[in-house]
Amino acid sequence: MKQWMSIRNLFSLFLLAWFAYGVYEARGYGFLAKIFPMYVSLVLLVLVIVYIAIEIVQGIRKTGGGKGAATGSDLSVDWDMPLEEVYVAFMLNLGILIGVYIAIYLIGYPLAMTLFIFLFYRFMAGASWVASVVAGAAGLGFMAVASHVLGMDWPEGLIALPWPLG
Amino acid sequence: MEAFFQALTVLLTPSHLVYLVGGVTLGLCVGILPGLGGIVGMTILLPVIYGMDIHNAFALLIGMVAVIPTSDTFPSVMMGIPGSSASQATIMDGYPLAKKGEAARALGAAFTASLIGGLFGAFVLSLIIPIARPLVLAFGSPELFMLAVLGMSMVGVLSGNQPIKGIIGAGIGLMLGAMGDAPAIAEYRYTFGFDYLMDGISLVIVGLGLFAFPEIIDLLIKGRPIAEKAELGRGWFDGLKDTLRHKWIVLRCATIGVIIGFIPGLGGSVVDWIAYGHIIQTSKDRERFGKGDIRGVIAPESANNAKEGGGLIPTFLFGIPGSGSMAVFLGGLLILGIQPGPSMLTENVDLIYTAIWSLALANIFGAGLALMLAKPITKLTIVPFRYLAPFMILIITFAAYQASYSWGDLIALLLVGILGWLMKQFGWPRPAALIGFVLAGNLEQYLFISVQRYGFDWLTRPGVIIMTVIIAASLGASIVYQNKLKAAGRTAAKK
Repeated sequence: MKQWMSIRNLFSLFLLAWFAYGVYEARGYGFLAKIFPMYVSLVLLVLVIVYIAIEIVQGIRKTGGGKGAATGSDLSVDWDMPLEEVYVAFMLNLGILIGVYIAIYLIGYPLAMTLFIFLFYRFMAGASWVASVVAGAAGLGFMAVASHVLGMDWPEGLIALPWPLG
Repeated sequence: MEAFFQALTVLLTPSHLVYLVGGVTLGLCVGILPGLGGIVGMTILLPVIYGMDIHNAFALLIGMVAVIPTSDTFPSVMMGIPGSSASQATIMDGYPLAKKGEAARALGAAFTASLIGGLFGAFVLSLIIPIARPLVLAFGSPELFMLAVLGMSMVGVLSGNQPIKGIIGAGIGLMLGAMGDAPAIAEYRYTFGFDYLMDGISLVIVGLGLFAFPEIIDLLIKGRPIAEKAELGRGWFDGLKDTLRHKWIVLRCATIGVIIGFIPGLGGSVVDWIAYGHIIQTSKDRERFGKGDIRGVIAPESANNAKEGGGLIPTFLFGIPGSGSMAVFLGGLLILGIQPGPSMLTENVDLIYTAIWSLALANIFGAGLALMLAKPITKLTIVPFRYLAPFMILIITFAAYQASYSWGDLIALLLVGILGWLMKQFGWPRPAALIGFVLAGNLEQYLFISVQRYGFDWLTRPGVIIMTVIIAASLGASIVYQNKLKAAGRTAAKK
């Protein structure tokens, strides 16, 4: 397989960058604030470099063995679909969530979530119109009860709406 | 002794019972929902317990965590998929029994075994407290620091497939925990210039992001098998009689459960398999295991309820959580203003007794409710996941927003969620990260006090040296063991 770097390796590199930043940033802190993050990130930096070395060696062995590169061969989750599809599906679901966030920002949490539940039931889950409306209403009811009884709050939108919608 | 029974009378007042039953009911639901276990259940409750009466909050939290290993048996038996990681082994014999039309017998045996195992765990916890008292009180900050390091290294080594990944996993938690204001001085770390990060990330966000978000996304991608039929069949009383007939299995496996719960890092995902392996090894007639032997249901179910009692021991006495759900429980204690550790034994011993009684009562209520409500609960197992998903997203975003009522909460949930999903895919142990996150603050404080009080002499205290040796030995042993396993795997692959 020509792909020499999988997302798995990229994640290890992300950890490397994170811990390196941890060391870099901690240098500027006062002594009392510095010790803990400094030593933790230093130790982690060394460990992650060792780990990446192990990954590289394993990757070379696997490619050399003619069994294809290490792409996804040792994922911890069993997928019965190609890995590319998993990433696409993940991005799709992430996109839906970001869409919900944007809706929350615009019209406030209760209305956005009610609409989300209704639309998800109708178009993603294939429920009937009636079931979708009932589900949306149930979600709104839950939010109203939880905010009232438990004193919980929710994000308001740009557009002000009367309770329990905004 | 007086305090022991006083705690019971406090707990038996109506308001406490309401919270306990509330926690038990929620725990039953969380156990049945796929992918959600004690960690997510407890995390959702954290925003609710702010400012609550401490005994009520205890009843709620412990009521929930105690019964998840009871109700997660439903999906294991009815569908052959685990309701949470603690009942994977139950599938081996529970699911075949259900296929034979004996689901009721399997569930009856499982609930009885869960009940006895849970009561046994509470009993052991009550015995340990007075015995451990002098030992625990001898621990100073240096020993507590090393103990926290020991706990984390055990979690790291035992919870993943590679020790180095486990330790880095715990380190990821420490790095997340180091964000925000430093405990010893007014200085803000790793805030990237965002005001939101000045208080650090809340446990609610980290718990839901690392555990709930990845499960929901994966279930959305995969879909989930649905029980073809939800028939319980016959045999409730046969199941009950089975468990009583195998009472020695129940006690042996409950003992295993307590011990494993006590050891940091093992916890929910292996306790059931160890009990299952134990029962196969010690049985003479093994040929029916895997085909619907009731002993294969009784063994893991008595062990997984008992482990909560064992897990509470290090959590209370040393402030070191043995598992992910105990880490969240520890975070809950901090929210309530209680500092777990040796001072629990001098200042808050009544709370420990409240916890013990809550654990015992929750197991009784949990088993009772599971038996009574078996029919409607079984119907839940045929609801496709896509109908549950939007409500789960509603609950986790709603709970996350209660952390600090700001948009930062929702954004942090998404980012930690992505981190959690990637960690799950690439085999970085998330429980280790959660425990590291919860312990970060304590570790830093213990380290400070040690250095300030003893200079570098703290390293030469006997307790510290002993624990350094234990940490080194456990790390060394695990690396040797992992290499042996790999070598064995290679030879097996060649054949």
